[in-house]
Amino acid sequence: MVTAALCVVGAAPAMAYAPVSVVHTERAQAGPYAVTVGFSTWPIRALKSLDFTFMPDGGIAGTSGQLLLDGPGVKSDMRVTPLVRHPRKRDRWGLDTKSFSAPGIYFIGFAIDGPLGHGEGSLPGVVVQSQPGPPMALSWTVGSLPFIGLVVFLAVAWRRIHPGRQPLTL
Amino acid sequence: MARSGAWAVWAGSAISTLGISWDVQWHKMVGPDTFFTLPHLALYSGSAIAGIASLVMVLTATVAHRTGRPVARTIGGTPVRLFGGAVTAPLGYLISGLGAASFLLYGLLDLWWHSIYGFDAVLNTPSHVALFLSISITMIGGLIVFAAARDQLWAQAGIAVTIPILITFMPITTNAFSTLSLPLDPVIVGIIFFSSMLLIVGAGLLRRPGGAIAVAAALGILQAFLWWFSPWAAVTYAASIGLPLRDGLVPAPPEVPGAVPMFLVIAALAVEALFWRARMRQLDAWRVVLVAGTLTALVVAATLPLQMTLTDPTAGIGLTDVALIVALGTPFGLLAGFLGARLITMLRATAQTTKES
Repeated sequence: MVTAALCVVGAAPAMAYAPVSVVHTERAQAGPYAVTVGFSTWPIRALKSLDFTFMPDGGIAGTSGQLLLDGPGVKSDMRVTPLVRHPRKRDRWGLDTKSFSAPGIYFIGFAIDGPLGHGEGSLPGVVVQSQPGPPMALSWTVGSLPFIGLVVFLAVAWRRIHPGRQPLTL
Repeated sequence: MARSGAWAVWAGSAISTLGISWDVQWHKMVGPDTFFTLPHLALYSGSAIAGIASLVMVLTATVAHRTGRPVARTIGGTPVRLFGGAVTAPLGYLISGLGAASFLLYGLLDLWWHSIYGFDAVLNTPSHVALFLSISITMIGGLIVFAAARDQLWAQAGIAVTIPILITFMPITTNAFSTLSLPLDPVIVGIIFFSSMLLIVGAGLLRRPGGAIAVAAALGILQAFLWWFSPWAAVTYAASIGLPLRDGLVPAPPEVPGAVPMFLVIAALAVEALFWRARMRQLDAWRVVLVAGTLTALVVAATLPLQMTLTDPTAGIGLTDVALIVALGTPFGLLAGFLGARLITMLRATAQTTKES
């Protein structure tokens, strides 16, 4: 029954997934492999997610490798990851809806193994500009309001009941 | 009516929990996001169900109050007069309703957030954290509702199945701190603190032998179900709309149930023994609860690394991490015991039972 419901209701959202657009490209050289790096928005802003695509000349068939990321907003577990196909552009590698959390200079590099052997290289520094939208302090203040409400509620209840003075039996 | 309202709020909370576990798994295994996905529908309908049920119960209580037939405190807890007495809201339903309303408002903020920042599926954005807090508030309201009727068997069952939902859901909010450079994942601290405090609260409200074990057993059943359901639903949903699974998926446990302490039953046995001794020997309950909280936190802290090692081949947990987690058990356990004891008396105060007065 659940599967049937998934099939019926699931048909609508399938239409909603935006195709991966590439509005800007850069070229990287990883040893013998030239890679076209595609960006779905340009310039890149901190915290704003975008799709990255990585397309070696000649395609990804018969090649594999690792994506090397470095920059102020890259956590240690994201520095070296396998190159995987983009979920919505399966003919090339990529990252879907990925954002960098801080502005600064980033390095997007590749270690590729394929018919021409092993090759490594990276894009020269990619600039990630400051974040769009309101200041994060303001956003977090607004996001914290339910927590503040909960604390106020508990404080009022605490003052009215004085829970420490009530009898406690187990 | 009393039962229907309470169980409707619980059903909403349960659907929200199912939704978050499914949604997290969806992003991990499949990827793309829009506002209109089935996991999001589960999340939103969970809050909607809880919100509508709360509203109906508040209106019922208001009408009853105005016609001179005020509802008993056991239906939703202490009546709260709002807008100069125009509305009389039972405390539990007021809180669960406010949580649901807050969720819908922050849903709009979340849409706006995604319009600026795109659909990056991360948990620790201000709007996401506000949404998790709102759902947690609805769940707390549901617990108040069951606690108010705790001398009835159906409400005791309600407490036993509400506490596990809170244990599963509340640590998710601690993702808010994950942007800070902390020596330990704040979610681990959240798991230790909330599971300890909530187990104590559940056992203290049920106030009968087997209460803690019932809570731990219900948590185990919920965890097992989500462990199976979340990846299954993500894969089935993806197949139904023709989306492929991500490349390079590593064999890791489903995220939400994977973060539920699976050895809590050991702590529950210790709590049962402590509470039994306290009843037999007339011990100071405040101290016993403090000990129970600390003991529970230490059991959870000591078994979490074991759980990670057993279930997650990708978990690179070192001895330093283990030492740090166990070291945190005592302070957070004491805090869980201290607050847990007071939450028990506060929840009991919403409606005195003949047995306790």
